[in-house]
Amino acid sequence: MKTLPASCLPLILGVIVLGIPACSKKAVRSGGDSQALQEEMARGERAKGGAGKEGANSSFPDTSFSGRDDANSLRGLDRNPSEERLGGNAGNGGTSGGAGHTNAMIAKADSGAAARQLAEIRAEQVASVAAGLRDVFFTYDSFSITDEGRHALSGNAEWARSNPYAQLKIEGHCDERGTSAYNLVLGEKRAKAVRNYLVELGVVPTHLSVVSYGKERPFCTEHTESCYSQNRRGHLVVKTGK
Amino acid sequence: MTFRAVVFVSLCVSIGIAWIIESGAADVFLEATRPDFQKIPLGIAGIENMGGSESPEGRVKLGTRIEDVLKADVRRSLVFTLVDLPSLGIKVSHLGAEPDASFKQAAENGVSVIVWGKAGIKGGNKDADLSMDGYVYDAGNNEVVGGKRYIGSTSVARLMAHRFADELVFRYTGEPGIARTKIAYVSELGTARELFVMDYDGYDPRQLTADGFLNLMPRWSPDRRFLVFTTYRNRNTQDIDMIELATGKRWTLVTQGGLNITPALSPDGKALAYSSSHEGNAELYRLDTHTKAVQRLTTNAAGDLSPSWSPSGRELAFTSDRNGGPQIFLMSADGSNVRRLTFDGDYNAAPAWSPRGNWIAYVCRTPKKEYKLCVITPDGQKHLQLTTGLGVDDSPSWSPDGRHIVFSSAVDGKSQIYMINADGKDLERITFTGIHNSAPSWSPAS
Repeated sequence: MKTLPASCLPLILGVIVLGIPACSKKAVRSGGDSQALQEEMARGERAKGGAGKEGANSSFPDTSFSGRDDANSLRGLDRNPSEERLGGNAGNGGTSGGAGHTNAMIAKADSGAAARQLAEIRAEQVASVAAGLRDVFFTYDSFSITDEGRHALSGNAEWARSNPYAQLKIEGHCDERGTSAYNLVLGEKRAKAVRNYLVELGVVPTHLSVVSYGKERPFCTEHTESCYSQNRRGHLVVKTGK
Repeated sequence: MTFRAVVFVSLCVSIGIAWIIESGAADVFLEATRPDFQKIPLGIAGIENMGGSESPEGRVKLGTRIEDVLKADVRRSLVFTLVDLPSLGIKVSHLGAEPDASFKQAAENGVSVIVWGKAGIKGGNKDADLSMDGYVYDAGNNEVVGGKRYIGSTSVARLMAHRFADELVFRYTGEPGIARTKIAYVSELGTARELFVMDYDGYDPRQLTADGFLNLMPRWSPDRRFLVFTTYRNRNTQDIDMIELATGKRWTLVTQGGLNITPALSPDGKALAYSSSHEGNAELYRLDTHTKAVQRLTTNAAGDLSPSWSPSGRELAFTSDRNGGPQIFLMSADGSNVRRLTFDGDYNAAPAWSPRGNWIAYVCRTPKKEYKLCVITPDGQKHLQLTTGLGVDDSPSWSPDGRHIVFSSAVDGKSQIYMINADGKDLERITFTGIHNSAPSWSPAS
């Protein structure tokens, strides 16, 4: 790629500056993440992960593309067609003798997985209700904590301070509008806004973890504003398992 | 479905773009199907039901089923126009290895290609193999230019049609066709979301994971052997995993604190771009799949996510909210040369770069606050809204021929998967089982 001619720079900057007013509705920013806190949390996570767990795993196969997949490729129409045997009963794209890449395509089912997950979620719910933890709700597109949210969090902070061995998980949730991917980012901003406020209230940062579920685990499944507002939430959970 | 074109004219943008064209033109390929491309008129004279062609499921005979699949494949190829021969007064009297007398008459009526065949099981023995013969008559040559004989169990009847359709596309365009491609997606099972793969037309869904929690946003490896996706390990941490389709074997590619989402392998498979918040907020990273080295691509206080590779692998489109709401940006694959692509509206996300390079599909929020499918050229000069209506559209992914987009659309919160032509025509729902199907990803062709 050629470098940008210097004479064009003011024009490009102009484009960017002119473009900004098009965003009539900006996301409302809360106090945001304190970078120092972020780094502290990141270090904590890395320490928990242990040596060698930082960043990428080193043992997965190379995914470099070496070219066309001969087993599955077309053989062309033929005036005197030879028989072409199509693979097995698995509906793979391949012919016999080929690698049949997509041949198996059946889950290595851990039939107990769903039940185990549900049991753990229920245990967390029970512990969270017993602790009297309250959730925080957000307005559309926003991750700033409302006065009502601050009130709820002061109660939660008090509980956390008097239960110093408890690990709290803060889940960020969004309503069903918008894209799945961006809602994961928005959910994390909400969860971190909650965490930062709890830390301001004196909760030890290492007792708090955040996770974003975006719009993937809604509390309310109707399609009304009252339901949407239930789903824009920072949900506090007492961690009972790992 | 109405097709609404929004012509976007902005002097400042076009000036900025002029430079992009000059410097990054290699990613804008000439489309094999130019706007003046004339579809080839093709008639299907029939796939005759031979002995033993009763389908195991009863009802429709195997030859008829293959013919129906072939017709749908030919229609979706967008290379051919399917001609209804009876409506031209063409009465086919005999379907053998030789062209029927009526084919010449069809050719005089403008039909360029006629396809026919037969399917059946020798001896009607239900344990024996299904055999399908297909023939292709070319009006220009006035002769049978080729054929195929497929043998296999009755369970591959649809695959016989798909392979034959792809052979037709290959014969007339030199491209491999899309009828044998697959779509990976996420389907809700109870409280969990698991990975599935189905044929490109929505048939034959197969479950890949059974974790009992959340698996999100699968993307294919260029050799179609693997999917990369986000998984919630122990519900509390997000990792990026890879699964091998043939074996179900899994590897963790990225495991660190924070959000780890929207993985995408480069067209050469040598790099994985993804978004991670382990250093604070969501930033884009690039993992070398051979050396396993990680390079950070973005540095700012906002969220950067959803990287999508240009077909050359030299550029990435991505979502960033560095200017407030989410917008689409472009940058070089090393993180340099960042520029904003979308300026219309306050919410544009989930970019998908076409395999032909000439369009980027994305989700745009309309003035009515509806989340619809839009496409924009990488130079920002043209953009179009492809869908209208109530559904929340998400996760566009291109067919490998660049002629279709698969996406999810949710009405009342429950999402199903649809495909649409790149010009906004022929909207077609392709998932009918499962109450919530989302995050489709179209496989490369083989």
